[in-house]
Amino acid sequence: MSTAFDILLNGVALGSVYALVALGFVIIFKASGVMNFAHGSLLLLGGYLTAVLHERLGFYAALALAVLATALVAGAVDLILLRRLDPHATHVLTILTIGVDIALMTDLTRRIGGDLLSLGDPWGGSVSTFGGSTVPHTRIASIVVSLLVIGAVFAAFRFTAWGLSLRAAAEDREAAALMGIRLHRIRTLAWCLAGALAALAAVFLVAFPAPGLERTTGEIALKAFPAAILGGMTSPPGALLGSLLIGVTEALVAGYEAELSALGGGFGDVAPYAVMLLVLLARPNGLLGEKEAIRV
Amino acid sequence: MTAAAPGLRVRDITVRFAGLVALDSVDLTVEPGSIHALIGPNGAGKSTCFNVLSGIHRPEHGSVRLDGTELTSLAPHRIAALGMARTFQNIVMTSGTVADNLLLGRHGHSRAGFAATALRLPHAVREQRAQLERAREIAELTGLGTHFRTPVDLLPYGDRKRVELARALCLEPRMLLLDEPVAGMNAAERARTAGTIGELRTRFGLTVVLVEHDMGLVMRLADEVTVLDFGRRIAGGTPAQVRQDPEVRRAYLGAPSPQESA
Amino acid sequence: MSDRWVSGRQASGRRVSGRAALRRVGPARAAGAAAAVLLCAFPFYLDAFWLQVGLFSMAAAIGAIGLNLLSGTSGQLSLGHAFFLAVGAYGYVWLAGEPGPGLPPAVAMVLAVCLSGLAGGLFSPIAGRVRGVYLGVATLALVFLGQHVMVNAEGVTGGFNGRSVPPLEIGGFTFAETDPALVVLGVPFGAEERLWYLGLVLLAAVWFSARNLLRGRPGRALSALRDSEVAAAAMGVPVARYRSAAFVVSSMYAGLAGVLIALAFRGIVPDYFGLALSIDYLAMIVIGGLGSVGGATAGAVFVTALPLVMGRYADQLPLVAAPGATGHAIGPTEAARYLYGAAIILVLLYVPGGLGGLFRRRVRPPTPPVRQPKEQTP
Repeated sequence: MSTAFDILLNGVALGSVYALVALGFVIIFKASGVMNFAHGSLLLLGGYLTAVLHERLGFYAALALAVLATALVAGAVDLILLRRLDPHATHVLTILTIGVDIALMTDLTRRIGGDLLSLGDPWGGSVSTFGGSTVPHTRIASIVVSLLVIGAVFAAFRFTAWGLSLRAAAEDREAAALMGIRLHRIRTLAWCLAGALAALAAVFLVAFPAPGLERTTGEIALKAFPAAILGGMTSPPGALLGSLLIGVTEALVAGYEAELSALGGGFGDVAPYAVMLLVLLARPNGLLGEKEAIRV
Repeated sequence: MTAAAPGLRVRDITVRFAGLVALDSVDLTVEPGSIHALIGPNGAGKSTCFNVLSGIHRPEHGSVRLDGTELTSLAPHRIAALGMARTFQNIVMTSGTVADNLLLGRHGHSRAGFAATALRLPHAVREQRAQLERAREIAELTGLGTHFRTPVDLLPYGDRKRVELARALCLEPRMLLLDEPVAGMNAAERARTAGTIGELRTRFGLTVVLVEHDMGLVMRLADEVTVLDFGRRIAGGTPAQVRQDPEVRRAYLGAPSPQESA
Repeated sequence: MSDRWVSGRQASGRRVSGRAALRRVGPARAAGAAAAVLLCAFPFYLDAFWLQVGLFSMAAAIGAIGLNLLSGTSGQLSLGHAFFLAVGAYGYVWLAGEPGPGLPPAVAMVLAVCLSGLAGGLFSPIAGRVRGVYLGVATLALVFLGQHVMVNAEGVTGGFNGRSVPPLEIGGFTFAETDPALVVLGVPFGAEERLWYLGLVLLAAVWFSARNLLRGRPGRALSALRDSEVAAAAMGVPVARYRSAAFVVSSMYAGLAGVLIALAFRGIVPDYFGLALSIDYLAMIVIGGLGSVGGATAGAVFVTALPLVMGRYADQLPLVAAPGATGHAIGPTEAARYLYGAAIILVLLYVPGGLGGLFRRRVRPPTPPVRQPKEQTP
């Protein structure tokens, strides 16, 4: 039986995971003006590496290695591929990430095949009961870890030289280049960070009560697209807000599916997109996104 | 319809970007048939002013009237249809040939829609041919006749600037806004463009507003000058009057001299 | 007022030279004629497999030409092309079929194309003002919402299992195996042969119309939007209207492609019209070279034929296992997808004009550096 509290908790937990992914989108977009379509395969890569390494290394070491490896792969995409192209041709760069996604995704799905992989997380299927509600520990862990990580990323935005440069670069690429900010390094670092966040998100996406890592897990990253967009691609707090909205919407629609049967079965899966379209109708640049400056 | 050159009355225009005042209650009066120069140091709000006139920016308040028609509530393409054409400070060229760019300027003077064009209906074919002739006329008028079929990205800078001007002329405007028409040109090209502007004005009875850093050109060409500084109108009058104005001297003192920065 | 700009004498003097130029028949036209003859001869020499490959390629080319107008020419990133294909396909099946009004298939085909255009038009509140990646993800929403409707609106779409496609019939001639039975020059004309010629006629019409559009007034306005909306607006182009119009036109081409795909498959399911299909179309126009009709066609043939041909010749290819091989071996589908991903990356990195650009590459001097004043007045 699902109560309103369960649904809300589900939604927030889901939203916190989406936030990890959506924040990655926003960081990459701020750094290079690209919508990273390879994010789903990066997430899958992180999950897959954790899954194959945890039995030998234990969960935490496996996760650390997976996060690092995914960060490096993401950084390599920028370093080896994107850097060769005109940084202003963002359409071309975006489509390039689609090519990367197809190649990487093909390889991962071939390796995973029809298997269902466990990531060996320490929470397993354990639950606690609070006033009649059964709460899986994975949910709590996902909220806590996401909060900590997102807090750290926000602090990095505000207080580190990298964060300051990233913000300056996003404001005005040419001016930042003139001021001597080494855009290349900032960009590659941004890609690494986004990759790391995606790998981390994989853990909570496939943890209990989800069955485990499958080849379609990467598609879940697509749900973070509307989250990032409806919050505003230029705004990290927007990504957070958007993710919570999407997570809660999805949980609500799924939780009250019986009452919403007129909308068709499984509407929870597509509700985020409907919400996003409604938001874009009112605000073409998302809730907290900045309007593009007109330069002539 | 009278072909008389239109006048422009700008009253109390204010524009803000993210709290920053780009234009602060600016007034500007352009007499019909005159050449009016808008000058001021970098960041004075000259381009913003042009963007307001052509409908790209909507001012917070104030009014812009072209022969009595209020422009501030109109979309850019409507303002263009009223006979206001402009060039851009940084060249904004569409891919393709000089002809393609000039034909784009003929957009408002042609009608062929998607269906007629896709099916090559006779009237669309006829119109295309007629517009091509017009575009060629204008290319020749601006000294681009020999480059008519040349892709614009193969043209040298000065010629691209000229394509901008020719494309604006293709709108058959009554009022022409020129944003730094000679910036980046060498002395010979400058003189040539200045000659063209003067000639166009007298030949077609245009009203011209231009933003320019080249003071020599401004003093020679303009009938009247308006000076902006930090979004404010600080002076106005004939070139001779403006040159003597103490406010203007103060605004330019310390700032790079206008001749050098262009 | 316009008479100030040109004198009649000058205008009439030039028209002659204009006509002379039009009469000139270039080598391109000769090559086109040769290709047309060759395409018409194929059904007499190729077996059903190759005709299928060709048919799917033609349908894809029609869709790609449509997407190219939208994303290549007017610069609006769309991941929603699969949705508009689906509207055409399901529109045809429903309009011509049972349950449904059961209209004559030819009428249903025309109406299905219009229906797709209408769907594109209904998107205009978003298409008119949402830009860049925002538009890309907004169109992505169309795909997911569309698939949701396809699965759930069982009365119209047949739900998860889809519907079978009524064959096209024009004036008593059916584009199916028989009815009437037809043998041409000793070759029995079954569904593949008949649909092949239908595809050729439709593709020719699409080429004709799309090239006219690109070279005419609407095409110039659309590419001006891509290069700079601000400049386009200042030249008198109504920006929102043209952005929306690009969606309508591109959706109509997509709708036609959808109908042809439905006819070729003889059955349609929601699964087919997913994000992967949208991405395929985007890949087609990128691999082919953005902005040209020929490029879109080349890209469509490449993306469509690659997996089919690799599947057929898997046993003769090195490193590729036969379909259905056990373990994690690289099967033909995977091999095709590796190649496909790599092709996107390699074309973007090394062939800026795409496949289409390879054929019409001209020797150009490097673009002279632009001396441009860098003042940015706010």
